[in-house]
Amino acid sequence: MTPVHATFGEVAAERRIASVPLSHVSVELGHLYMEDYEAGPDRLREQFARVAPWLATVRALWRERVPGGRARVSTCFLVDDYFSRFSTPAELLPMVLDAAAEHDLTIDYLARESACAHFEDARSGGVELARLVEDRLVDDPPPETDGSRPPVKETGWLCNGSRSPRTTPMQAMGKARPWEPPAQNAKRAHSIFVDVELWDERGPRRTWSCPFLAAVWQLLRLGLLRSDGHVPLPPVALDGGWPRDWDGLPAVVRLNPQAAPFSAYTTLSVLSPRFLPVELAVRTILSQVAVDDEVLRQVATRSESEGVRLEEELVDRISYVFI
Amino acid sequence: MLVMGEVHTGLLQNSGEISESTCRQVLALMAGETVRVSRRPIVHALSPERLTGVDCALPTASRSRVRGVGTVMSRCAVTGGRVAQGSSYVRVVRSEADRRLPWSHYLARPGVVEVLGKAKAADLAEGFTGDSAPGGTGGACLNLGAVSGRFLDLVQASPLLDRRAPFKIPRTSLRWVAETGEPSIRFTLHTEQERTLRLTHPGPFTPAVVDLCEDLATHDWLLTSLLVIVERARIGGTQGAQAVARLAPAIDHLMHLWMPAARVEEWLTPFWESLERRPGFSRQWRSLVDRVRDQVAMNTLALLNATAEAGRR
Repeated sequence: MTPVHATFGEVAAERRIASVPLSHVSVELGHLYMEDYEAGPDRLREQFARVAPWLATVRALWRERVPGGRARVSTCFLVDDYFSRFSTPAELLPMVLDAAAEHDLTIDYLARESACAHFEDARSGGVELARLVEDRLVDDPPPETDGSRPPVKETGWLCNGSRSPRTTPMQAMGKARPWEPPAQNAKRAHSIFVDVELWDERGPRRTWSCPFLAAVWQLLRLGLLRSDGHVPLPPVALDGGWPRDWDGLPAVVRLNPQAAPFSAYTTLSVLSPRFLPVELAVRTILSQVAVDDEVLRQVATRSESEGVRLEEELVDRISYVFI
Repeated sequence: MLVMGEVHTGLLQNSGEISESTCRQVLALMAGETVRVSRRPIVHALSPERLTGVDCALPTASRSRVRGVGTVMSRCAVTGGRVAQGSSYVRVVRSEADRRLPWSHYLARPGVVEVLGKAKAADLAEGFTGDSAPGGTGGACLNLGAVSGRFLDLVQASPLLDRRAPFKIPRTSLRWVAETGEPSIRFTLHTEQERTLRLTHPGPFTPAVVDLCEDLATHDWLLTSLLVIVERARIGGTQGAQAVARLAPAIDHLMHLWMPAARVEEWLTPFWESLERRPGFSRQWRSLVDRVRDQVAMNTLALLNATAEAGRR
């Protein structure tokens, strides 16, 4: 008898990672706090007037870059319903869409900031994106980190180097140590030391910081998150009009049925310069997030197959216009 | 250049073996990531992989200073609901830059440590697996043992375990180096708990090599533990019933776990097979198992005799 080649497989022993449809670029048309909405439609109109020419530029640039000129560009807008709740979706969101339309802008997708922390509905069950990303943080090690001790952590904080040693005198230790500077790990001659608060806790309730949620938001737009191998919070169309309650709104709403996919190879955010410190913090966080290897490979293979060269490091796939 | 790793293996700190579902919970080290479980021919559960950042000297036999920056890939495993492991490895490659780069560069290469400056693979391999290997007193250098140890601690500290292990047995550590080349394997016992493995495999490195090293570590630990239990039983030097009582943990918890090369990819099985010829892990295991069973059989006979005699009287 000839030898028989047996193969045996077990589903539970394999990793299955879903893939996500991808645009070339996801453009965030703005990020406003509740006080901006309180300021009324004029503030929104101003924002969209500033954004419109940049969106046109991005479209043109990608048309040049993509073979055949078929650039897939999707637009999105993030509503802050995490740090403060204001008005209702039914009152607020039509105002946003109208203001955008006045400048010929189409908002393809609308997302809730609170969904970057935690989202629960009948369709997707419960997803804690922020926890998911927190578990993927790999601290930037200062020189002489050899693995013999666990990484030095200040709970709830993340930095890009070594913090200043404590200068307060320890009890019965006599003289105080003179101040020593913190240091950035990858400094060029001089340090730019950044220390970011990821969250705080009052009693049992944890509040994620704005930069941390913004980092989650970037990862979601880059299509780099998976929950048990599934794509978390896929966009859904809204049926039956705007809900009267924020919790009735899906995490990511598809407003334009013809829109290119929500997630993209790269992202561009058009923001007011007052968001600069937030985005520095976001980049500090994102440069310490280890995205799943398999997911990175999926995205790289796909982009190569359509002749788009992607930056290897994920922070280099994110760009901004501060205006 | 080469891959180096270290596996720590120990008895799960629980009174009995744990179920598959408990395995899943114990090994859930990362939100949103599933624990991989295979059930044939033995239940084997593998945690998601996690990274640890390092920037330090690498061990060298020549004691020349070689700086490496990157991430260590680690994971935990539970075999048969009874044997726990913490395992870490790094793929060592030459850096294209001669300075440390932004951290995101290293995170785009999970499990890779880049060497800044000059280094020879043989020097690193010897430094890592040689007698004066890390963990010792020499200056601080990459300590994979500490990382693996912490991952094993993470499993052992799970609140789902009752921490009432049926017997005490030391952890073992297996330090390994894998390189591409003419196939060869060298397994060395150092102290009671320390082993090293030098492996040269054809073709490029794949994670299947890590599976092989973990499988060898599991079986070396089983063999070491069974030896310790048989030794503690002091067969021949103590009463039969007492010896059998001391052998009982082996029967209850270890003897069914021997499944050499069960999770090893086919192209790597020749390595296991060559170790089976010399020194012959399974041969020694079988002989020990026979010895345990013979003791039980003899004791049963003695008991039967005693009962029969008591009946006659």
